[in-house]
Amino acid sequence: MWKITYRIRRQKGDEASHYDTFQVEVDPEEYVLDGIEKIWAFEDRSLTFRHACHHSTCGACGMRVNGVEKLTCITKIKDVTQDGGTLTVDPLRNFPVVSDLVVDLGPLYRKMEAVHAPPVHPLSMTPWEGEDIRPPKEVPTPPEGGEYIRLPDCLECGICISACPVAASDPDYLGPAPLAAIQIQGLEGHPELLALADSQQGVWRCHSAFECSAVCPSSVDPGWRIMDLRRQVTARRLKTIIG
Amino acid sequence: MQSTPKSGENFWLWFLKIASGILILFILAIHLTVNHFTAPNGLLSHREVVAYFQNPLVLFMEGLFLLLLVIHSLLGLRGIILDLNPPESTRRLIDIIFLVVGTIVSLYGWWLLFAVRSLTS
Amino acid sequence: MKADKHNSKGFWDWFNPAGRDAGGWAFILNRLSALGLAFYLYLHLFVLGKLAQGPDAFDQFVAAAKSPLYTVGELLVIAAALYHGLNGVRLVLNSFNIGVPRQKQMFYTALLLTVIGTIIFAARMFTAS
Repeated sequence: MWKITYRIRRQKGDEASHYDTFQVEVDPEEYVLDGIEKIWAFEDRSLTFRHACHHSTCGACGMRVNGVEKLTCITKIKDVTQDGGTLTVDPLRNFPVVSDLVVDLGPLYRKMEAVHAPPVHPLSMTPWEGEDIRPPKEVPTPPEGGEYIRLPDCLECGICISACPVAASDPDYLGPAPLAAIQIQGLEGHPELLALADSQQGVWRCHSAFECSAVCPSSVDPGWRIMDLRRQVTARRLKTIIG
Repeated sequence: MQSTPKSGENFWLWFLKIASGILILFILAIHLTVNHFTAPNGLLSHREVVAYFQNPLVLFMEGLFLLLLVIHSLLGLRGIILDLNPPESTRRLIDIIFLVVGTIVSLYGWWLLFAVRSLTS
Repeated sequence: MKADKHNSKGFWDWFNPAGRDAGGWAFILNRLSALGLAFYLYLHLFVLGKLAQGPDAFDQFVAAAKSPLYTVGELLVIAAALYHGLNGVRLVLNSFNIGVPRQKQMFYTALLLTVIGTIIFAARMFTAS
């Protein structure tokens, strides 16, 4: 067992934020979220944080661990600190703080709705495993015809928005996850999304820091998708003058 | 978020920014080569500069260079300001200011080119 | 809820490298060089106005500009221009979805070429005077 220090940012209501520290005994194989639950169970019942599935499906437990956005349910303690070390845990950036580590992801959900983010999508739009993300070359067809569908990779955890430097100063910028949701639908099949993609809060607000892709806990690679969406917008706009 | 997309930026403005950026790179390569490598003393005397400007090709290149730099820098600064999500009215005011500044600076620069060119002694 | 609960430091977060990856550094350097170069451009145009005032005003300025302090300043401009231009090539290619999975290597290449280029210019400028 390791003895580590959790340094957790606290904020209730209108009070100024501060850090509380907790000494916790943990198994290094445990996850960051497990330690936070221990603190809640044995030290401080007023500590608030979001969690549900504990296996990177619900996207509820996004936080900043030592300054880097992590899905805390799949971040092993041994990967982010050592025995006797300190873990600083902050709520996600660029969202309103509701209480302690809980942020209001409402702005993200509204943007996902505005871009008609699909709850499922065809398998042919699945990111291909490997360095370059692209749809699989051979997409299996169901025996009865039609197309296989699957859930999208995006968990809507808000981690990409927290890591994006532009989202820090522009709350109206659609941001990585919603732009990725436009890209996965494709402007070819969804021309109604062109006006939003090609606008002040669309693809041109991205300045290629690629921090979204660096922290995305799923295989969305939003940075790559924004660049591909740019290519799609460019192709459509140039087509209008070339004819 | 609002239902209608904000119209402060679009493909053509962005395209103008990167197209001017690429052209600047080409001209900058010539500009730096001439100013720091070809000219024996690096175009550092008034006489040399005036002589240099007698070439109409140089005059055209420097004039175009200035215009591209003004376009690229103002569109870039505008983009940085848009990252701050200014109110629509502020954005419009900035557009007007930048258009005026860009025009004045370009005219001043071109005037300077011809003024210097005419200073042959 | 308080108005400042967006939980960000606004534009200060543009320049905050804490916890950021290579792409974040590329963005920070790009933005800083952009602001620096824009400032230099308009300063440069103002100074070149001395050309129109005749040989004496300009040549006096050039003589003053031969001090090491000016040379260092000029080198900073060259380094910023090299980086902004080379990183610009990376951004343009990426924007047409070329080489995005290799964006970090492209950034490191731009940085390396900037350092090499700046050293070459520095060597020439300091040996010339």
